[in-house]
Amino acid sequence: MKRIAVVATVYRYLSHAQHIGDRFLVGYPRDGAWHKPDMKVVSLYVDQKPEGDQSAARAKEFDFQVYPTIAETLRCGGSKLAVDAVLVIGEHGDYKRNDKGQVLYPRYEFVKQCVDVFEKDGVAVPVYNDKHLSYSFEHAKWMVDTSKRLKFPMLAGSSLPVTWRLPDIELPLNTEIESALMVGYGGADVMDFHGFEALQCMVERRKGGESGVAAVQMIEGDAVWKAGAEGRYSKELLTAALSRSDSPQGQTIVDGRTQDLVAKGELPKLVKNPAAYFIEYRDGLKATLLMLNGAVKDFNFAARVKGAGIQSTQFFLSPEPNVTYSACLVRKIEEMFETGKAPYPVERTLLVSGILESCLTSRVEGQKRLETPHLSVQYRAPQVSQHART
Amino acid sequence: MKISRRSLLLGMASAPVLLRMQRRPARPKLAAICTTYFKYSHSQHIVDRFLEGYGWNGTWHHPPMDLVSIYIDQIRDDDVSKSRLEQFPTMKLYPTIAEALTLGGSKLAVDGVVLVGEHGRYPRNEKGQTKYPRYEFFKQIVKVFEDSGRSVPVFNDKHLSWNWEWAKEMYDTSRKMGFPLMAGSSLPVTWRTPSIEMPMGARLREAMCVCYGGVDSYDFHGLETLQCMVERRSGGETGVKWLQAYRGDAFWRAHQEGVWPKDLFEASLCRSHTLKPAREGFNDVRPSVEQMRGLVKDPVAYRYEHHDALMCTMVLMSGLIEDFNFAARIDGQPGIFSTQMYLPMPPARTSLANFFSPLVNNFEQMYLTGKETYPPERTLLTTGLTAAGVESLFRQQARYDTPHLAIKYQAPKASTFWRT
Repeated sequence: MKRIAVVATVYRYLSHAQHIGDRFLVGYPRDGAWHKPDMKVVSLYVDQKPEGDQSAARAKEFDFQVYPTIAETLRCGGSKLAVDAVLVIGEHGDYKRNDKGQVLYPRYEFVKQCVDVFEKDGVAVPVYNDKHLSYSFEHAKWMVDTSKRLKFPMLAGSSLPVTWRLPDIELPLNTEIESALMVGYGGADVMDFHGFEALQCMVERRKGGESGVAAVQMIEGDAVWKAGAEGRYSKELLTAALSRSDSPQGQTIVDGRTQDLVAKGELPKLVKNPAAYFIEYRDGLKATLLMLNGAVKDFNFAARVKGAGIQSTQFFLSPEPNVTYSACLVRKIEEMFETGKAPYPVERTLLVSGILESCLTSRVEGQKRLETPHLSVQYRAPQVSQHART
Repeated sequence: MKISRRSLLLGMASAPVLLRMQRRPARPKLAAICTTYFKYSHSQHIVDRFLEGYGWNGTWHHPPMDLVSIYIDQIRDDDVSKSRLEQFPTMKLYPTIAEALTLGGSKLAVDGVVLVGEHGRYPRNEKGQTKYPRYEFFKQIVKVFEDSGRSVPVFNDKHLSWNWEWAKEMYDTSRKMGFPLMAGSSLPVTWRTPSIEMPMGARLREAMCVCYGGVDSYDFHGLETLQCMVERRSGGETGVKWLQAYRGDAFWRAHQEGVWPKDLFEASLCRSHTLKPAREGFNDVRPSVEQMRGLVKDPVAYRYEHHDALMCTMVLMSGLIEDFNFAARIDGQPGIFSTQMYLPMPPARTSLANFFSPLVNNFEQMYLTGKETYPPERTLLTTGLTAAGVESLFRQQARYDTPHLAIKYQAPKASTFWRT
């Protein structure tokens, strides 16, 4: 039975560590059965113990130890690495934001301490890193490069790429994508990351594979509507994406009606501070993430595909508290722990981490376009669809 | 039960010729006959989609037809129809059903009828059934058809009637007069997670839906969830022989004794997105039977046998889940076939009840083509099963024989649920 170490910022109700960690403890629904991973959580590190901390209670009930350092957690108090895999969950907890608005979650620091143990003990094991690798692309790159150097499998990212889709579509591999657009909601450096991951898991399937990003720009406010009017993103794709939404705000909240938000010109009325993130890929593809707080509360994608018209879908975030989409993610983590192979490339999340950082830099630098030669991250999408469909 | 157009014409020589071939209008006009129209009422969900359009196939879809008249039986304080009538002057409110159908004239003047008899204040009978006036509305619609010598397609939201005899009469009338009739719930046509269809001709012995809600209410949706799947089985639908309801302690006893298959029950729960955490501090944990007993105050099951020996169980587990989950065992296939019929239900999870979109889209096609996209016999049967469940509960959970539910039909080959 594989032994798992959990390295987390906090472990309290509805934190990512609880969502993900608990599924290794109590199991999760999978393919219409309750699945219990054939793995045992043997050790836990929590960086902070806020009110509601569950670390001690979980350790007692599920018979594992909470250790004061990451090294001890990976060695289970002994002198050598004593686990077969590590869950790094650096989401939630009280951490500062920098001047770009990025929360300084210590994911890099956590992984670095894991790597220190791997190097000292001469053994490396699979690592899952929740959400983006780091707020810093440089750190993120070091994390991925190190996993290659030490030859340990690494998986990272959001649940969005692996959750249910409404409808259940996948873009065929090597498809020619002419343009792509994602609509999301929520705050910068939190929910925009999920929007990028959903966008990226679709466009990475295009002809030629992922080539990396040449330039980005993030704009906010009325400039977003102006950019739309000037055709910088497609109204047709925006209509398609929003046609997939189950959560239009405004008049729907008032009296329940359906609304064509684009044609009726409702968006500027509903969205006080819109944000557009423009991505220019190195192979010429242009994609846009629109964060439209106040207009919708879900994530919807649309792309114009050569020979297949507009393809669109909703990335389904199933309701709280169960958030069964995190079960979809745990399934993939478990698969990597079991097989030693990441089911999809960590380079996706490396690229997304860099796109997000550069977009937030663009925002603080007068919303100007930034060239991103460092983002020439190249990789191939997995052949097999990875999202929930069984 | 099938009556050909020719034999009917021959046999009804003295009756007005109701069945003359209609040319389908390029852009049909529709009348909506509603009980009430408030935010998140079925009328609002359905009629608004004709007025405002709705998201469909990745674009904004305006049905190629005009809803020109509406009758509303109860205008409540929270009515929202007034704003629609102001905003869409092409739709006119009429004080009677007949006038809504004749547009104030003397003859039927619309090409289709949308009958939404859900919500509103109507009395309950001693069995707990809400006496929604769908049958009464339907009779008035048919009267106009008869007086006009012409009939048009009718969609009836939810079950046909709380009263089986009336439901049967509604169905029979549509067959006799030869007008297309669609009815039922959104459950058969909404998204599924996973997006799977029962293979046509599957050999089934046991099927189950575990869902939530009350008797004479969501039980109907659970029965439609089951029926849209099992009707695809080998040999087609054969009808139902008997039904027995279980409630309260009798439910838990039956569950423990294995009256219905526990593995299908478990599979259904594992498709839920809303399994109530049985333990504080956990967000998604498998409940024990004892924990379920603590969460579910009023469990209900309808267990029934089809004429070809298929056994079905519809379970209401309010307090444990808030979604509709299906499971069945298919002969020759390993494991259990299971899925969730997903309703993006407002206001908790969404703002739009978009499961009405595939429902509207299906009956929209009927107005355009004159063809039912799925058979009304499905809803005739689930209407009878709903009433039979109520009856069994009323008779102290006694087994209730249903010789009247020997309803045979074939499911359409094409899938009609939302997958694009």
